[in-house]
Amino acid sequence: MNQDAWLAALVGELRRHGVGPDLAGHVVAEAATHLRDSGEPPLSAFGPPGSYARDVADSIGAAAPAPRRQPPGPVRLDVRGISKRYRRHRVLNDVNLTVRAGQIAAVVGANGAGKSTFLRICAGLVSPDRGEVHAYGSLGYCPQDGGTREFLTPDEHFVLIGAGRDMDRAVARRAGRAHAARLDWKPDSGRLAGQLSGGTRQKLNLVMARLGEPDILLLDEPYQGFDRGAYLDFWHEVWRWRDTGTAVVVVTHLLNQLDRVDIVLDLTPDRERA
Amino acid sequence: MKKIIVTADLALREIARRRTVLVVLALLPLAFYLSRRGDHLGQSIRFVCLGLGWALSTAALFAGSAARPIEPRLRLSGYGSRHLVLGRLLALWTVGLVLSLPYYLLILVDRHDVRYGAIAVVMLLTVAVAAPFGLALSAVLPRELEGTLVLLIVVGLQMMTDPATTASRALPFWFSREIGTYAIDHTDSGYLDRGLLHGVAFAVLLTALVTVAASVRLRSRPHLRFNPAP
Amino acid sequence: MNQERRAQWLRGVLDLCVLAMLARRESYGYELSQALEAAGLGPVKGGTLYPVLLRLQRAGLIVAYWREGGAGPARKYYRITGDGHDVLRQAAADWDRFAGGVGAILREVSAR
Repeated sequence: MNQDAWLAALVGELRRHGVGPDLAGHVVAEAATHLRDSGEPPLSAFGPPGSYARDVADSIGAAAPAPRRQPPGPVRLDVRGISKRYRRHRVLNDVNLTVRAGQIAAVVGANGAGKSTFLRICAGLVSPDRGEVHAYGSLGYCPQDGGTREFLTPDEHFVLIGAGRDMDRAVARRAGRAHAARLDWKPDSGRLAGQLSGGTRQKLNLVMARLGEPDILLLDEPYQGFDRGAYLDFWHEVWRWRDTGTAVVVVTHLLNQLDRVDIVLDLTPDRERA
Repeated sequence: MKKIIVTADLALREIARRRTVLVVLALLPLAFYLSRRGDHLGQSIRFVCLGLGWALSTAALFAGSAARPIEPRLRLSGYGSRHLVLGRLLALWTVGLVLSLPYYLLILVDRHDVRYGAIAVVMLLTVAVAAPFGLALSAVLPRELEGTLVLLIVVGLQMMTDPATTASRALPFWFSREIGTYAIDHTDSGYLDRGLLHGVAFAVLLTALVTVAASVRLRSRPHLRFNPAP
Repeated sequence: MNQERRAQWLRGVLDLCVLAMLARRESYGYELSQALEAAGLGPVKGGTLYPVLLRLQRAGLIVAYWREGGAGPARKYYRITGDGHDVLRQAAADWDRFAGGVGAILREVSAR
């Protein structure tokens, strides 16, 4: 890894480890000076960018973001008594969930437990057999797949969603690119969505859901195809959205993030849990 | 209105980027035209119009099926179903007009002694009907293969059935044969009137059908109640 | 010297050594790493040194500022604070006692 690549990687890793931009700038500049003075290759002087960033974060006590910063706000999403069966197979049975502004709810459960169905009901795409969903504010929805158009560029996707949310083309493009940058992605203006890698297409999917800053965000396993860095970026974004007062519902089967969410809704049927 | 224009604009870009599809679409009517160019002068004009209708309906069928997965998300992002339908129709109509123009010019150069105004009317109506017809098929038959087969049957019937029978009037491109006869064989204006009525009626009916189907599919569900953010 | 042991020892005393060197005069990272090596502590990697500097800074024992180099690039210089001097004095006395104890035990071994 050459020096520039290493320093660039360090910038990203510092952000992922929760080091603020000011301090990160100092750390990177200092490391660059050191490398120039010593002439050492960066890997032998500082080690891999990820582990150096972790050491830096540890030494300033910035490691994990505090689980709760401010008390949650008013109720944004109120799900009452949702039941749904497909033919004779009962998928959801009397499910309740209340998410307030500034809260993250994780929806977990085995495959086929109805996680996606639950989210689609919340988004109003599927009707339940019983129950109601009350949304207080606007909804954003990130489907598991099929949310993007193969023959449009990312910028055109931003324009498409933006127009629905009454944003001008230029405004939508700017907002989309700003969200993309937070996921460490700079959309290439000539590239069609069909030519993007799975992980990058998923970033596009996520940015589209966030465009227009909806009050409630419903995310259906939005990190498929993400590498480790992108996955961490994703959770940092989710925490940031929470801190700006968004109510986030995220379907996940990865349990190691559960300590960083506010509510866990387990859809595993009772008979399997017992 | 802005939402319709953005939908139309982006749908057009998507079609424009599928070069191979465009080339095949553009050549299909030509194949129809040339197939009857030798024997019967008027027949090749009738065929080119049917070819245009077939090409555009197929394009509309695929565009409609391809758009299905993203439509719910667009609906959630603030689009009404009418924005989505009208935007897509606008794009397809534009493609149809662009596709037809060279053939109109070809007929103008290649033919004499036909009513050119009536030929233009046939082409306009063909475009007007074909786009919603393809979209309607995609609404009823979500899988492209099934839709394509039905299209094949309809166009095949259209070519083979005797336009004089009552049953043939149920076919969407019947007007094309009727006005075509008026234009080529210089028959009385009854042919033109019947054709016009049929074409306009089908265009309006199919457009309405597509709009209604979309509004049902993308209806807001009663279990989800939106309240203003407190 | 066993490298792993050296790294372990260094971990325990590096912050004090850095503090002591900054008590002599203010300095920047690369200069500090060279001075530590020259003092016989072995090579000190940037990846080890800078986190220690950050920790000392966060504890208020040193402060940092950027200074334009005459010919070279701007460098981040560190200077010890009053609190830093206090901590260093106390720690130096503690270290003397501790190292004295260790030394006494180990001398018995090497004398045998």
